[in-house]
Amino acid sequence: MVYIAGVQSRINNSAPLSFKKKEDKKGACENKDELLYKARKNHPVTLGLKIQANKLKNAFTTYPIKGLEGSKNSNFYEFLTMGMVPYLIGSGAMIAVFNAASAFFDTQSAVNASKIGKKMGLGVLFYGVAKTLSKKLIETPVNLKYGIDVNLPYKKVINELPEKRNKDDLVSYEYHKAYESVDFPRWDLFYNNKDFGENRNDYYLKVGKKMGFNNEDLEHADQKVKPVIKEKVIKTRLFSTLSSYLWAATGVGIASQKPWENFVINPSKRFFNFKNSLINAKKAKEAGNIIAKNDNFVKDFAKTFAKSTKEFVKGHNKSTGIAGKILLSSAICMTLLGNFSTLFDFNKYKGNKIQASASIIDENKNKVVC
Amino acid sequence: MANVLNSIVSNKSIYPNSGNNMPAYTIDTEGKVKPLEYKGKLLPSRIIGSPIEYVKDLKKDVVSIGKAAKGEANDHELGRINDLAMKLGSLGLASYLFVKNPLKLSKAMEFAGFGTFFAAMSLWPKIAIQAPLKARTGVDIHQKYIDTQGRKKMLYQDPQYVLTDLYTKEDLEKLGDKLKVSKDIPDRDNFTKQRAQKVALQGNTLWMMTAGFASPLMSALGCNVLEKPIGAAIENLDMLTSERALNSGNYQGFFGKIKQKFADRSFARFIEKNANRALDDSLIKQLRNRITANSSFDQLGDAVVEELKLLREKSSSVDLNFVKNALKGIVPENVFESMSPEAAEALNQSISEGSFDHIAKIVSGVVHTKPGNKQKKLRETIIKQLNNYQSENSPALSEVSKSVKKLYEGVAEFSKGENALNRFINSRVGNKSGSFVAKQYDRFGNSLMKSLGFNMKELRAIANGNINIFTERLEAVAKNPEQYDRAVRNLAQLTDKYEQVTGKQFIETVKSKSGEIYSGASENMRKNGFKIIAEKISSGAENEAGTMKNFVNSEAKRNGLGAKSSFYRVLQNFDIFNRAAQKTDTGMNLLKNQLEQAMINNGAGCDSATLQKLEEACKRILLTGNANTHTEKLAELSDIEYKAVMDVLFGEKSSGIKESLTRTLGNEKSNAFMKNFNEYLGEFKTKVANWQNGMTANLSRRVHSPIDNAGKISNGIERNNIIGQETKDLVQDMAKKMYNSKKWLHIFGGAMAVLTAVTLVAGLMIGRKGETEKQVEMESRKDG
Repeated sequence: MVYIAGVQSRINNSAPLSFKKKEDKKGACENKDELLYKARKNHPVTLGLKIQANKLKNAFTTYPIKGLEGSKNSNFYEFLTMGMVPYLIGSGAMIAVFNAASAFFDTQSAVNASKIGKKMGLGVLFYGVAKTLSKKLIETPVNLKYGIDVNLPYKKVINELPEKRNKDDLVSYEYHKAYESVDFPRWDLFYNNKDFGENRNDYYLKVGKKMGFNNEDLEHADQKVKPVIKEKVIKTRLFSTLSSYLWAATGVGIASQKPWENFVINPSKRFFNFKNSLINAKKAKEAGNIIAKNDNFVKDFAKTFAKSTKEFVKGHNKSTGIAGKILLSSAICMTLLGNFSTLFDFNKYKGNKIQASASIIDENKNKVVC
Repeated sequence: MANVLNSIVSNKSIYPNSGNNMPAYTIDTEGKVKPLEYKGKLLPSRIIGSPIEYVKDLKKDVVSIGKAAKGEANDHELGRINDLAMKLGSLGLASYLFVKNPLKLSKAMEFAGFGTFFAAMSLWPKIAIQAPLKARTGVDIHQKYIDTQGRKKMLYQDPQYVLTDLYTKEDLEKLGDKLKVSKDIPDRDNFTKQRAQKVALQGNTLWMMTAGFASPLMSALGCNVLEKPIGAAIENLDMLTSERALNSGNYQGFFGKIKQKFADRSFARFIEKNANRALDDSLIKQLRNRITANSSFDQLGDAVVEELKLLREKSSSVDLNFVKNALKGIVPENVFESMSPEAAEALNQSISEGSFDHIAKIVSGVVHTKPGNKQKKLRETIIKQLNNYQSENSPALSEVSKSVKKLYEGVAEFSKGENALNRFINSRVGNKSGSFVAKQYDRFGNSLMKSLGFNMKELRAIANGNINIFTERLEAVAKNPEQYDRAVRNLAQLTDKYEQVTGKQFIETVKSKSGEIYSGASENMRKNGFKIIAEKISSGAENEAGTMKNFVNSEAKRNGLGAKSSFYRVLQNFDIFNRAAQKTDTGMNLLKNQLEQAMINNGAGCDSATLQKLEEACKRILLTGNANTHTEKLAELSDIEYKAVMDVLFGEKSSGIKESLTRTLGNEKSNAFMKNFNEYLGEFKTKVANWQNGMTANLSRRVHSPIDNAGKISNGIERNNIIGQETKDLVQDMAKKMYNSKKWLHIFGGAMAVLTAVTLVAGLMIGRKGETEKQVEMESRKDG
C-alpha cells in the first residue's frame, strides 16, 4: 500500500496519479477538506438548502451519468446520494398510485377516491417531515449542551482520475458530515481550526469544558474528549433513528384521520384566492360592507391538523384511542429516552479514567493525518 | 494489536519511504508488521433470504441496539439498526391502521401493504436487474460477503472498495468467460475484476434510478392481486368460525373470555367504588352503559334503565311525607290537610302503589278543581318533581348492589349468545363489506358483466348511464345459444350457492339458535325478577312482536332477500330476452305469443301494437321497475294489460331458464334450482304483483295497496326486498366498479410494464465492451 497525502491509489488502477488542473481549480496538494462550521453557524438554513440542492442536482444528473457509464471515479458517496432519487420519486409515485387515476373516474367515484388519496398523499408528506424534524429533538439538545453538532458538514475535495469524459476538470466536491462515520470521524478537521480558536486543540477543549471536565483533565483534551464525543454521536444516532420512524408513523397516523377528507389541497390556488380575498376585504371595508371570510390555507391547514391530532389521540372508539396514544407516547418516550441517554453521562468520563499518553505523539513535530 | 502499535511507536515512524511525499515519520516494517489473516468469504445468492439467517441477523441487530445504547456500536451496526427501525416503524404504523380500520379485509390489507412494500423494495432489483445481469454477464451485482468480524455486506456497494480478492481463481476464470474477456491477455483476472466492477456499478445505478417508480407500483399491484384471495380467506374463515362458535356453545373464544374477565372485574370495581353513591339518574346512566357495553341492542339499554329505576323505586320508601316534601313550593302547603276524605284515601292508595301518575292526578285535581290546561300542567310538573325528588333522595347503590350485579350477569350472559348469533348472521348476510352477501353480489355482478363482454369504452358509457349498451348486448347474447347457456349457467350457479348459504337452512338455524339464546335469556331474566328486560328479549308470544328475538329473525331473513331477488331478477332478464329471440310457428316471437295468450286468458284481445307495448313493458319492468312501478301497476298499462304482463313474468309457465340449465347442468341440478326460483316467483306474485285481490277489489283505482292473499298489507321493506335492485342499477354499479378498477390497473400496470421493459433493455446495454476497453485489452496483449 502506498499512501500519498490521504489519497489511496488502487492497486488495480492502471492510470497514473497525475493531475491536470484548470486555472481556477486548486491542485490536489493545495486543496483541503473544509469544515463548514462558520457557514453553518451564520446561515444554518441557507447552507443546509444549498448542500441539499447540490446533492439533489448531482443525484439526478451527474452521478447517474457517471454510474451508468461505469466511471472509475464513481464512489460510495455518489451511490448514497443517489439514494435521494428513489426516496423522492418513490414518494411521488406513492401519491400518484392513490390519486392519478381519479381523473378518469366519474364524479362520485373521484370524490371517494380523493378522500383516500388525499390522506395517502398527506401521509407520505407527514412521514418525511416528521422523520426529518423529529431527529432535531435529540440532535439539537446534544449540540446545545456539548457543542457536538452531529450534522456539521464539511466540503470534501475529491481528486478524480482522468478518463474519457473527464480529462481536465479533475477536482470535484462532496458534502459530508464530520461525524457521519463513527468508526472514522473526521477528527483532523477540528485540529488547528481557526473557527474554534488559535490553538490546536481548542475545539476539543471547548467540548471538554462543556462536558464538565476539569482544566487539569484537559491537558490533552482531544484524547480525553474524542471517546466521549464518539459515544454521544452513537447514542444520538441510535435514538434519533429509532424515534424518527415512530414519529413518521405518528405522522401517517395523523394524516389518516377524517378531518383531512374535507381539506382542500391546492396551496398555490388557495394562496391566490387568499390574496384576492384580502384585496376584496379591503375594498369591502372601505365601502363599509361586511367582510367575507378569507380563504387562509395556512390557518385552515393548522386547524385541520389540530383536529386530526385530537382525533388521532382520542380515537373513534376505545381501541383506536389506545392505539393512537400508544404510538404517540412511544414516539415521545423514545425522544425523551434519547435526550436522557445523550445528555446525562453520570460522570462516566470525568476523572482520569482515560489517560492521555504524551509518549505516543510528539506534539512538537509536524503530522500528516489521513 | 497493542503489541503491534507499541512496536510501531518504539520505531517512531509509521510510513514507508515514498520519495518526495515522504511523511514525517518513517519506519521499517519489514518482517515486523503483517496483516491479520482475512477470514471473509462470499455468501451464496438467493432471491428470497433464508428465514434462519433472518432470525440470526435480527438477533445480532438487537444486540447492536444494546451496544449502541451504551455508545459502542460501529457504522455497520448503526446502518442495520436504521433498516430494522424502518421496518419496526412501518409495522407499528400497520398495527395502528389495523386497529383503526373497522373491516377485517382492510385490517389485513394494512399488513399486506407493509409486506408487499418491503418485498417490492427487495425483489425489484433482484428480478429486473440482478438476475438478468447475472444470467448474461455472470456478475451478481448484489453479491454479499461476510467479513472477518462477521458483518454481512454487499461486495459491490462501494465501487472504490471492492474485495474482488474473495473470488477464487476458478470463479474469475468463469466470470471472465461470461464477460467475454479475451483469454490471451496476460493479466486476464485483473481485467475481469475491473469489468465486473463496472457492470456492478452500472447495475446499481440502474437500480437507484428505477427503484423509486418500481417499489410503490409493485406494492400497489401486489396488494391489488392479494386483495381477492385475502378477502375470500377472511370471508370463509368468518363463516366457519362463527358457525363453530354458535354450534359449540363456546360463544366467546379465547380473547373474548379474557375481555369478559376484564369487563367483569371493572364492573365489580365500579360497584365497589360507587357503593355509597346515590342511585340517581346519572349513576343509572353510567350503569346502563357498563351493563350493556357488549350488546348491539339500544332497546336493551332502555330496558336496563327501566329495571334500575324500578329497583330504586322499590328500595326507596314513598309515603305521605315523601310526597309532601317533594311537592314543597309546588302546591299550597295545606292542600293535603284540606282534601276530602275520598281524595285522601285515593292518595294513600296511590302512594302505597308507588304510582307517581296517580298521585299527580289526585293532587292536581285538588288544587285545580276544574279540568283544563292548568290542571294538566300542574300534573306534569308534579310527576317531574316527584321523579326529581326521588332521584335526589335515591338509595345508595350498596342497597341494591346485589340485584344490580345479577342484572349485569344476566345481560352479560345474554350478550355472549346474542353476539355469537350476530356474528353468524353478519358473516352471511351482514350489511357490510366482506360479508358473504357483499362478496357474492360482487361475484354475481362480475360474472354478469364478463358474460356480456364489455370493453372499457362500453363500461364507461354504462357507468355514465347509457344502459342501452347493456340491453343491446343482452339481446345479442340471448340470440346466441352457446353464450346464453354459459351465462345462465354461471349466474344460476352463483345464485344457487347464495341460496345454500343464506336460504332456508340458514333461516332455520337462526330461528332455532335464537330460541335457545333469546328465549333462554328471557326465562333467566324473568326468574331473577327482571320482567321488563325479559319481555323485551322474548315475550314468548307466537309472533314475538316487537321483541329482540323477532328483530334478529326478521333481519336474518330480510337482509338476504334483497340480493337474492336481484339475482333472480337478472336471470329473468336473460329469460325474457331469450323468449323475445325465439320464433314460434306463427312467426311471432315466443314472448309476444305468451303475452297474447295471457291477454286472451284474461278475457281481452290485443293487436300487434299492444303486444309490442307489452313486450317493452316486460323488459322495462325487470330493468328499471321498483316498488312504485308495481304500486301504480305501470301507469301506461291498463289493469288487464298489467295482469297479462305479470302472468307472463311470474306465472307458472314463465320460466325458460329451466331448459337452458337442463342442457348445461343436467336435470337434477336444474330441478333443484328451479324449485327455489319458482318459490321466489310465487312470493313475488303473492306479495308484490297481487293482481288477484287487487284487481277484483279496485279495478277503477290506479293505485293498489300491496295486499297479500291473506288480505294483509305486506311490509314495505319486505316488498322492496322481494322486488330487489333494479337491474339497471346493478349493472351500472358493476360497470362503475369494473371501469375504475380496470382503469387503475391499465394506468399502473401499464406503467409497471413500461418500467420493466425499459429496465430490461437498459440492462442489455450493461456489460458491453466499450471502445476504450477493447483498446486497453489490445494494448495489454501487445505489451504481454
